[in-house]
Amino acid sequence: MFGRITLDNFEYFVQGYLTTIALSVGAMAVALVIGAVVASLRVWGGRVPSSLGVFYVEFFRNTPLLIQLFFFAVVLAPRNLGITAEPFVVALIGLSLYTGAFATEAIRSGILAIDPGQVEAARSLGLSQLATIRLVVLPQALRTVVPPLGNVASALIRNSSVASAIGTRELLFMGLLVANRTFSLEPLVGVLLGYWSLTLTLSVVLSRLERRLAFAR
Amino acid sequence: MTTLARTRRVASGLSGYLGLVALILIILALVATGVLSQRRWEPFGDIRVWRFVLEGLLVTLQIGAVALVASLILAVPLALGRLALPRSVRWIVVAWIELVRATPVLALILILTLFVPRDLVSPVWSATIALTIYTSAVLAEILRAGILAIPRGEVDAARSLALTYAQTMRLIVLPQAFSRMMPALVSQLITLVKDTSLASIAAVSELAGYARSIHSFYGNPAETYFVIACIYFTINYTLSRIGRRLELQRAKEPPVTLPAEVEAANPQLPV
Repeated sequence: MFGRITLDNFEYFVQGYLTTIALSVGAMAVALVIGAVVASLRVWGGRVPSSLGVFYVEFFRNTPLLIQLFFFAVVLAPRNLGITAEPFVVALIGLSLYTGAFATEAIRSGILAIDPGQVEAARSLGLSQLATIRLVVLPQALRTVVPPLGNVASALIRNSSVASAIGTRELLFMGLLVANRTFSLEPLVGVLLGYWSLTLTLSVVLSRLERRLAFAR
Repeated sequence: MTTLARTRRVASGLSGYLGLVALILIILALVATGVLSQRRWEPFGDIRVWRFVLEGLLVTLQIGAVALVASLILAVPLALGRLALPRSVRWIVVAWIELVRATPVLALILILTLFVPRDLVSPVWSATIALTIYTSAVLAEILRAGILAIPRGEVDAARSLALTYAQTMRLIVLPQAFSRMMPALVSQLITLVKDTSLASIAAVSELAGYARSIHSFYGNPAETYFVIACIYFTINYTLSRIGRRLELQRAKEPPVTLPAEVEAANPQLPV
């Protein structure tokens, strides 16, 4: 019966599924912080911080994630920097830096989308600085930033599968483990269902969120 | 454009390459002062190592080029299918596109390379097919957006001029949609070049796979991966510069001229 192998090894899939979620959520959180900081440097920073920001974004965006993960796995290993040999931590660092570059671009475009005249107008109407940010800048910036950041998050969930190459026990890794043991294609169907459930749920949540934000216009 | 403005734009375009050169100079300086082990960088002073790297690069470029052309061809029926098929069969196309886009590329590559018999299709081709499946679904969505962005009136006008559906698509809609999707196409091409590296996990020897051979021979993984990353960067950054230029060109494009075929079919067209 189809589905039998997946059910027999269900705990592997659950463990992999949870690891994938932890990896994605953790890396997204760090990437948002990186994105906010680097985007601010690029928009408001001086010439040197801004060009460092450009170089970070371009370098991490334009090289394969796989090569970055291999590089970090070697560099962070005990015999080099001696920080960690734990695949999950290496993957978390690598995915955060990779995704941070894309988050930076999304957040930067959100900041640039707001006309400075609006801030001036709000201030002239007597709104305080805090009220201007809270009532004028943030709602608009959030609205422009949510769709691209949603795409970044969805790509992150799928990219987290690359972490299996450095031995992180996430969903794809577990699926391959079971597939190797049972000589069957079926576990990989289970893996696909797992990823689809995550990315499709995310896209439903995001389109709801977008609709709600659009309403506030 | 003034000379100063042009100089500034060229300088900002070169800054990525300059950053790379600066990074390499810093590393050379560290090697010279003995902070970094010179022995581990030495292989990259050897022309034979570079000839080996070039061999891997050619495989990467071959996979990328074949997958790009095949996906472009496949994207047209997928996009048109999603736009124009009757509702009863359209959901098949929609489901295919959405599910493929929701799948990790690595999983697609592994499924095809592991379960398509090797004596039937070699791993390089299985990986190329997997990348084509993924990229064509993404390009179909980009193309669909390009088609939807064309004013409905143009299609109506073309149909009123007695052009068939196929002619309207071929002469009016698709050329404009393709030119509109160029920037997005270039950025998808960058993703494709990066994704070819995943084929190395499925035992395909392309650039990333050759990197493994180099560092297991010389015992310098960090240095090798850094050099290989710089090669990918050079290719992809160049592509992204081209993409940005295309975007700027689109912004100041001359008004659309009618294709000669339409002009010939309707000689007395009052304009």
